[in-house]
Amino acid sequence: MTTPYILMALLGGAALLLPVLQATTVERFTRRSAGYFTIAVLLAALAIVLYPVVSFTAESGGPTSAVFKSDLMALFFGVAVLLVAIFVTITSLEYQQDDPNISIFYSLILFTSLGMTMLAFAVDLLMIFVAWELMGLPTFILVGFRKKDPASSEAAVKFFILGALSSGILLYGISLLYGVAGSTNLYAVVDAMSTLSPALMPMGVVAIALLIAGFGLKLSAVPFHMWIPDAYEGAPTTVSTLLAAGTKKAGFVAAIRVFLISLPLFQMDWTVAFAVLAVLTMTLGNVAALTQRSMTRLLAYSSIAHAGYILMGLAVAPFTSLGIVGALFHVLNHSVMKSSAFIAAALVAYKAVGTHLDSYKGLALRMPFTAIVLTIALLALAGVPPLNGFWSKLVIFAAAVEGWPGVWWAPWLALAGILNSAFSLGYYGWIIKRMYLDEPGQTSKVIEPIIFRIALFIGVLIIIITGIYPAPIYEFARMAAASL
Amino acid sequence: MMESLLSYFLVSSILFGIGVYGVIAKRNAIRILFAVEIIINAANLNFVAFSRFPPSPNILGQTFALFSIALAAAEAAVGLAIILVAFRAHDTVDVSQLKKLRG
Repeated sequence: MTTPYILMALLGGAALLLPVLQATTVERFTRRSAGYFTIAVLLAALAIVLYPVVSFTAESGGPTSAVFKSDLMALFFGVAVLLVAIFVTITSLEYQQDDPNISIFYSLILFTSLGMTMLAFAVDLLMIFVAWELMGLPTFILVGFRKKDPASSEAAVKFFILGALSSGILLYGISLLYGVAGSTNLYAVVDAMSTLSPALMPMGVVAIALLIAGFGLKLSAVPFHMWIPDAYEGAPTTVSTLLAAGTKKAGFVAAIRVFLISLPLFQMDWTVAFAVLAVLTMTLGNVAALTQRSMTRLLAYSSIAHAGYILMGLAVAPFTSLGIVGALFHVLNHSVMKSSAFIAAALVAYKAVGTHLDSYKGLALRMPFTAIVLTIALLALAGVPPLNGFWSKLVIFAAAVEGWPGVWWAPWLALAGILNSAFSLGYYGWIIKRMYLDEPGQTSKVIEPIIFRIALFIGVLIIIITGIYPAPIYEFARMAAASL
Repeated sequence: MMESLLSYFLVSSILFGIGVYGVIAKRNAIRILFAVEIIINAANLNFVAFSRFPPSPNILGQTFALFSIALAAAEAAVGLAIILVAFRAHDTVDVSQLKKLRG
């Protein structure tokens, strides 16, 4: 009940405090300690989010008139996004250490974490929009954080235009929804929709189309994906991690809530739309990833493909309860897998080995630890058993098959997903082959900093443990889906 | 009563159309930013009109409009700052000229 308010006080307060600390204390002191302070705050936030889960005090399903609802669904996404934020902060301790405005950097990470967690808890269109902006605005600045680097500022302009357009379209969609329903509370919108006069029906459909477009822009679904790889490539790689694994996932929670709670009347309209979007998104993501020569671009396209898998779970959600379970499970798994892969790529780029795929040749000899972690993360992304990505993809594909009596296209959706998954193994395997089988251009060993090792080790540990013993997280996802 | 709501709605639809056209057709980043602001203001007009006229007049829409005006201002501030930084680095605000990043 009070969880989101405590989080607001904690994360918001810490985010406001950090720049003040930088201005008032010795610079040498703040440089490192600002990072440790941020990690401590994020860990505290994670504990606050986990507390209602372990003490079984999460709110049950059903309508509420409040703007926040701390049900298991919100807590699940809270855990996922805070984990990513912690990974990013740990990595930034080393990656961003020469930045003069490091406190601002951490402050923005805290603000966007607050936006992501608020979005997870919000059940009112007004609060969803405010959280959406709070999540988006700091990321625009973070992408362009390297002011001197032309690539960074170009990425920031492109990412800002996409983000601003997404919130504009979302806002217009919300205004239409408010017009037909007379309320912004999601549950009140449901009630109003069920007694809607046929004359207002077209307006409702347009509102949904606009909401899909607005969310789709943030989720980088096709056809809104075009500048996303540019943004990920130009941004500092730690920030790309936050975007691919964090804010995009938080976008999904809003999409899930809005479409599953408030719009059951238009089921047919949006399930077909989501199914088409899902197939296009994963196919385009995988095909484009195959042709990339830059590791960050490849990972960006791969995360577009994974957004497609998650959309697939949403598309069959009205016909089987497994759909949302699979989508949630994959959201958490993908957060960890993509964070690990991006952090490994960040380390390779940071040590000036490069981002071009050819610089990964023979990496196993130069950076053995990074190569192993990257291999495991890529195999998990491809969905190879017994890693975590396998189980969540399995649940999503099973859900698509199970949706069959409800909709005729469900088995085809599953087939498209399986083909895509097999196809993606091609380019992931290619990178692994470069790292282990190709001759390196240089043979000198590269030092792998301890901070990166810690982040990578935690990531890989979660990947393997979830892979071997997926039951607890699957159960968490199942209960979260049931709490809607 | 309904007619007046309809006229507000018509104006906001036209504004929304102008905004979307601006984002798609214009290449100048500042113009695109302005186009997005037009979309947001179209939504604000909707909120205020819907909160005043039937089918369901209530105060929520005006609250929402106030929130979104504040957020749009924050967005414009961040956006202009980003465009300014990009201009210093590239000497242009034409997004079709920004193509260092291409795979």
